[in-house]
Amino acid sequence: MIIPVRCFTCGKLIADKWEEFARRVQAGEDAGMVLDSLGIKRYCCRRMFLSHVEIIDEILKFFEEAQRKGQTI
Amino acid sequence: MEIEVLEKNDTSLRLLIKGTNAAFLNSLRRTIIAEVPCMAIDEVVIIENSSILHDEILAHRLGLIPLKTDLDNYNLPEECPCQSEFGCNLCRVTLTLQAEAAEAPRTVYSGDLKSENPEIVPVSPNIPIVKLATGQRVMIEAYAKLGRGEKHAKWQPVSACTYKYMPKIEILEICDACGECVKICPKKVLVKTKGEIEVRDLMACTLCEDCADACPKEPPAIKIGWEEGNFIFQMETNGVLPVERIMLEALKILDSRFAEFLKELKGAKIEEA
Repeated sequence: MIIPVRCFTCGKLIADKWEEFARRVQAGEDAGMVLDSLGIKRYCCRRMFLSHVEIIDEILKFFEEAQRKGQTI
Repeated sequence: MEIEVLEKNDTSLRLLIKGTNAAFLNSLRRTIIAEVPCMAIDEVVIIENSSILHDEILAHRLGLIPLKTDLDNYNLPEECPCQSEFGCNLCRVTLTLQAEAAEAPRTVYSGDLKSENPEIVPVSPNIPIVKLATGQRVMIEAYAKLGRGEKHAKWQPVSACTYKYMPKIEILEICDACGECVKICPKKVLVKTKGEIEVRDLMACTLCEDCADACPKEPPAIKIGWEEGNFIFQMETNGVLPVERIMLEALKILDSRFAEFLKELKGAKIEEA
């Protein structure tokens, strides 16, 4: 849904680095290099970024559409 | 015991500790993880939440946000003189969060949390808490308390805290520098230079012994071992407390535990056989 606050395995704070990661990968940078430069060393934290899908953005669109039509969900 | 600092920065610490044993380092590690107190949001009052995340998920996300901790001015709730379930100014910090997406969708960040004590704030202001669609609102009051990692991982002051034996790599004379061990090493510990295998980065070795398995010689020309009693101790804080403070607090806790044990031991009557 939304990026987890901490790594599931080790508990490192990862959420504050997600937006930069997503932006840079979108811009065409190599994901592994971005993780290295953000200081994400362990593979438990790295998989948190690589496997995450920010679905909340997709779900928000339904609410936006309803708002536009004047409906409530 | 001899201690050498291999690496130290704001978030992590690497020590080479000589002349100790695994039992001591493990008790230190467990104390750091489970018993050094730090601050985290523990109770949440949700006044309004029209976002798409459920109240429970929102509360859980708030709880996991690491908060900068002030151990000198706050008490653990169970040790606080107030003894109140609700808490007092010495054992509780109130944080409020009020956010609304008025015209366009927006993300609510940890920086939007307003703390009554400017010292007790989230470690980073950029942690997304929730995303709001137009017209959605959240209004939350959260109470942060000191706690210990043994109760919930949100009160852990460190993310990774580990130790390993100091590796020892021996390259025997029968080695013909074929380079198989250099190729297979996942940590790139070895390097081939002019007909010789050399150790490039000894500390990175994880004692996996892949190099010995890959060696075509029988018995292998490379021997992986460890130095008995010498360890590499690593820890990484998540920003709630400085690394040296965590270490000192852990030692203080261990010290008082042992003092108590000694007292009980001296007081115990020895049964005559």
